[in-house]
Amino acid sequence: MSKKPKNQSKSKFTRRQVLKLGAGALAATAATPFGVPTLLGQAKPYAGTEINVSCWSGPYPKMLASYIPEFTEMTGIKVNYETPSFPIYNQRMDLELSTKGSGYDVANITFIYCARWIGAGWFTPLKPYFSDPNKTPSDWEPEDFLEGVVTPHRDTKGTLYGFPWIADAMISASARFDILKKAGFGMPDTFEEMETVLKAVHKKEGVAGFVNENHHGWTWIPYLYGFGGKVFRDPPNDLMPMMDSPEAIEAAEYYGRILREYGPSGVLSFMYDQANQFLKRGRANLITFNHAWLLQLGDPETSKVTKTVNYAMMPAGPAGRFPGVASHAWGIPLASKKKDAAWEFIKWSLSKEILKRLLIEKGYGSITRKSVINTPEFKEKNLVNGVDLAELYLKTIDVAASGYMVYRTIHVYPQIDKQVDKAIEIVTSKQMTAKEAMKQAQENSVRELKRAGVKL
Amino acid sequence: MMWFNKSSLISVEAQRKRSFLLGLLPALVVLAAITIAPAVYLFMTSLTPLDLTRQEETAGDYSRPWTNYVELGSDQRFHNSVWVQVKLSIFTVLLQLVVGLGVALLLNAPSRFLEAVRTVFLIPMVLPPIVVSIIWKVIYIPDVSPIHRLLEVFGFPIESLITNPKLALWAIAVADTWEWFPFTMLILLAALQMIPDEPLEAARIDGAGSWQLFQHIILPLIRPTIVVAALFRLIDSIKAFPLIYVLTNGGPGMVTEVTNYYAFIEAFNFSYWGYAGAISVLMVAGVFFFSWLINRMAGRSALQET
Repeated sequence: MSKKPKNQSKSKFTRRQVLKLGAGALAATAATPFGVPTLLGQAKPYAGTEINVSCWSGPYPKMLASYIPEFTEMTGIKVNYETPSFPIYNQRMDLELSTKGSGYDVANITFIYCARWIGAGWFTPLKPYFSDPNKTPSDWEPEDFLEGVVTPHRDTKGTLYGFPWIADAMISASARFDILKKAGFGMPDTFEEMETVLKAVHKKEGVAGFVNENHHGWTWIPYLYGFGGKVFRDPPNDLMPMMDSPEAIEAAEYYGRILREYGPSGVLSFMYDQANQFLKRGRANLITFNHAWLLQLGDPETSKVTKTVNYAMMPAGPAGRFPGVASHAWGIPLASKKKDAAWEFIKWSLSKEILKRLLIEKGYGSITRKSVINTPEFKEKNLVNGVDLAELYLKTIDVAASGYMVYRTIHVYPQIDKQVDKAIEIVTSKQMTAKEAMKQAQENSVRELKRAGVKL
Repeated sequence: MMWFNKSSLISVEAQRKRSFLLGLLPALVVLAAITIAPAVYLFMTSLTPLDLTRQEETAGDYSRPWTNYVELGSDQRFHNSVWVQVKLSIFTVLLQLVVGLGVALLLNAPSRFLEAVRTVFLIPMVLPPIVVSIIWKVIYIPDVSPIHRLLEVFGFPIESLITNPKLALWAIAVADTWEWFPFTMLILLAALQMIPDEPLEAARIDGAGSWQLFQHIILPLIRPTIVVAALFRLIDSIKAFPLIYVLTNGGPGMVTEVTNYYAFIEAFNFSYWGYAGAISVLMVAGVFFFSWLINRMAGRSALQET
């Protein structure tokens, strides 16, 4: 038996929950713009206050940046805002939080760190803020957020520490579907079909068959589950890593092979932005990645593949379909000295009004509020080159409701995540066979988990 | 001098020493505060299993003080990181010496133009390391690299160097050499300019060619300087971090993961400060050893020159 993790929450959110309309919610929002009516009638009560806000460079935080002057104008709160890359953000914030630093007033609770950060007590419980009518109007509606996306940001007692800005659903995309069509293929629905398609289209018209980011701890796991493998033996009760199972070896062999044989030169050094740029320029074709990024392939201002892009569900393996679904949230670090101002920022940035404007004006599609998801605009903005991405998004969330994403909310998953990154690099660059690399990953994972005090 | 006895002389000497010590005391206190105290703290931390996510359980737990060190003895990833560090240090020091010496020989002539060129050569060394890393990242990404594009135009396309396990460490070594060869160049150029003209002129009169001059006169005369430059660069090579962080992230796999990078991962990705502390203590010990060696070599070199 393993040590009981600090957060046992499961990632469960169903389409049914999504479709439960928060009727009238938007109308109420219109009456109380930005959900900050408590501020109305007061002359910028936070004038002179400065807060530091940080989040990794996802689409939402980057798009939100241009709206922040409005928040400052409305509240008087000056926001020092930064969006470093994902690994930099996580390293920086992990250090800041673990040393009880007060450098940040609002910070993203990264999905793979939520159990670790919340379990260690490094974030502020939000109930005193959202349940206080003097701080939050009732029409802000905390229950309007998709419950399954909120759940990872609760502790074992159910206390809430973060409100999510994204439901990160993994789908597949073909930036140059015209090439697939010419070769007589549709969107691949299984791993087997995907490899057949890749063999046929790789380097056609100078386009690499496949691309993905080098965070394999995120991108490879759906393949692991698809082949019937697992990350932990029985999370959250038994945290023995399962990196050297026959299924994990098969998944590593498969994924390493498609990266090596059908990826562009240097694919192992690609971060998410680089992979996305490759797709937008039509230099690579297939990918299995997050909805929020792949939606941008349909943006005529930045993408050259708007007329050729196509989408489908994450392909299934012999054991089934296991797309990744993640959730990142705004929270207030425990040591922040400006928590009220920090809550004003969270409240504003996740208000129905701002989320709807992000959807309409910036095309941000990974919305976490039911009342916005159920608007015609959501459907319209998620229609790219004739493909209904809203449907794919909701279907993917439905698939993840079975609870397999729980591995990602285990407090020691970040340690495994790094071992996966290394193992897939080793397999892809042929330094070892998949069996050797995964055996090494297993040994290193066990060593790291024991160091964290997990009893295996 | 007749009226001073021996004991009074000793007393004067002792007072002199005491005065020097008192004068040095403030500097020693500052030194202790900024170097020795953190080093002691690091060592004490390395004797605990400190994990920042379990501070209450692990901070100040000295029940099994040598566990981290024992574990390092069987940690293959740590052993690999030391071996990678050794290879990187040897590659970079040798390359920097060869390139630095070559450029120093070319620039060792009285000319205003060459003086200006010297300044240009110093640019990589004074750039912030992160800027150097970004420059080389651009050079090494096939899609944007001018070198990759040029080779492709001439029909010799090459795969990405930083994701090739056989070449990634060399790619780091080349970038590090570009950044630091000006250091060896400067030191060796100074040594070359100190060589007296007489032995060179005498050898020329005796019919010695350029290579013979270099082999039998110049090289022996600058050898002590080469040794000192090599040792300085050897110590500095242990600090190679920004290039690895930006270019390869220690990969592909672990082929460019040097020891300080491994310590960084243990501390900043996993919060295992006790374990990372133990790795750091071993690194500090290594650097101390090389510093001691430099002192000895520098001392010998000074003796040889006199």
